[in-house]
Amino acid sequence: MAKVQLSLGEKTFIIHGVQDGLRTDGRSCDAFRPMELECGVVSNTSGSSRLRLSNTEILVGVKAEMGKPRPTRPNEGYLEFFIDLSANASPEFEGRGGEELATEIANTLTLTYDLKNVLDYQALCVLPQQCCWVVYVDVVVLECGGNLFDAIGIAVKAALYNTRIPKVKVQVDSEGQEEIEVSDDPHDVVLLDTCNMPVLVTVSKIGQQHVVDATLEEEACCLACIVMAVNAKGALVGMEKKGSSSLTMDSIQDMITTGKKVGMNLNSNLSSVLQEIGRDASSSGFLS
Amino acid sequence: MPGDFKRIPCPQETFQPQLYCKSSTKKQLLQENGKRADNRSLDEIRPIFLKAGVVSQARGSAYIEACNTKVICAVYGPHEVQRREGFSMQGSLRCEFKYATFSCPGRRQHQTDSEEKQMGLVIAQALQPAICLHKFPKSQLDIFVTVLQNDGSAFAAALTCASVAVADAGIEMYDVVIGCSLRQAGETTSVLDPTITEDFYSRSVDGDASNHGSVTAAYLPSLNQLSAIQQTGEIEPEVAAKCLQKCIEGSVRIFPVVSQCLIKATKRKAQKSQQTAKKDDV
Repeated sequence: MAKVQLSLGEKTFIIHGVQDGLRTDGRSCDAFRPMELECGVVSNTSGSSRLRLSNTEILVGVKAEMGKPRPTRPNEGYLEFFIDLSANASPEFEGRGGEELATEIANTLTLTYDLKNVLDYQALCVLPQQCCWVVYVDVVVLECGGNLFDAIGIAVKAALYNTRIPKVKVQVDSEGQEEIEVSDDPHDVVLLDTCNMPVLVTVSKIGQQHVVDATLEEEACCLACIVMAVNAKGALVGMEKKGSSSLTMDSIQDMITTGKKVGMNLNSNLSSVLQEIGRDASSSGFLS
Repeated sequence: MPGDFKRIPCPQETFQPQLYCKSSTKKQLLQENGKRADNRSLDEIRPIFLKAGVVSQARGSAYIEACNTKVICAVYGPHEVQRREGFSMQGSLRCEFKYATFSCPGRRQHQTDSEEKQMGLVIAQALQPAICLHKFPKSQLDIFVTVLQNDGSAFAAALTCASVAVADAGIEMYDVVIGCSLRQAGETTSVLDPTITEDFYSRSVDGDASNHGSVTAAYLPSLNQLSAIQQTGEIEPEVAAKCLQKCIEGSVRIFPVVSQCLIKATKRKAQKSQQTAKKDDV
């Protein structure tokens, strides 16, 4: 993660505060910072979203292109995740500096979205073994203010909600050849069902307590955290421990309970916000 | 940029022939008598062969074998940090995890893919709390893990193997790290130390996929803490906690094997140094 330089005194202040349930920005331990979400911000994409979580800013563009199905799954389309930690966000990400973290995030997303309950992958297949939709989900981190995983999780879900894939007709011509015809009507589209898509929740252990949505400063005080992918039902569709320290079973259990509660909350809030925004939202400039 | 000299001049994309088999009947996870395909009970781990000090060139090394899962690991260092990362009062760990190209059912590429990179990171993170990193400031420890044959739970075996190799290298440690995997199939059935056919694949579950998944944990037996958790599939939080508990139970059973192996390796080393001392006297 992007590092901030903290003195020992500052660290102690944060840790002791969290111990008493107090955080430097006045939040409770299981509260998120205010968020700003917009959909349809980039016109050349099939779907896009921009999320601002206090100081963290994420831009997600989704592009649906046609490709060949994977040989192991001949009648399914697939999602492809790519995270770009631009040097904009932190000088540390310059060159190949952000690559490690980027693969980590992309891997987490790939694993959590790769379940058949999450998305109807067979609907993305046009012609078995020959043609399917490949949905590229490209994430650009414009500013890094802590809690990248959760912010990216929300932004990706919102962008997929906003995604419009053109309808495809398969016709068999007189010689028995299959022909693909893509509809050019912008309203004749397939939308993705995002109900079962998870959000990511990072629960960070600070001192003896744990918090969600850690700021950059809190991340510097945190030795271990658990990233959980929680779906609307509250089930875990992926869980990973990160960080350099180990955790006892008791604290893991507490953290999982918090993660489930926060994740379900986040999911229901997000879906109501997305409904408000609507499927075909578009906006002109995203920094205005 | 040097050319990719390791590449074999073969088609860019090839598939394993099994994909073209007519779909055979799906194998049941459990036999009718409640046992697994290899006659193990649900919470039975495979017998383990573990040996430290197998690579003479390396500072420390280990080889682990659990039936058909075979992993070898070598540790080099601690040496000066080569990257431009700069100064750190704590030693750093670098772990490279690699599946041998022939180790899995389908052929793997010789270049490390993103999955392998991720595994390497997780192993390094899992070992970090177990190693006294403050004992070697400004330096770096390299851990190379190669999976020779993968018959399920290769990652768990790699964790154990890597920690034994580090211990064999004489690096001061707080604890050893023991990996254990589990496959959850339904709310109540959990299969410990799954083979590759028993392992969880996101498409292999018919019908209700809730509470189907896999969990891998790295356990520090003396500290009684977990240093790595990886879960895939859809599992209820309560069930996930139980899964972790079962992984701990499995790891506890592996622990005696690890300590015995380390004792043997130490004895061997002591004997060797005694012999050389005698020779020097003569």
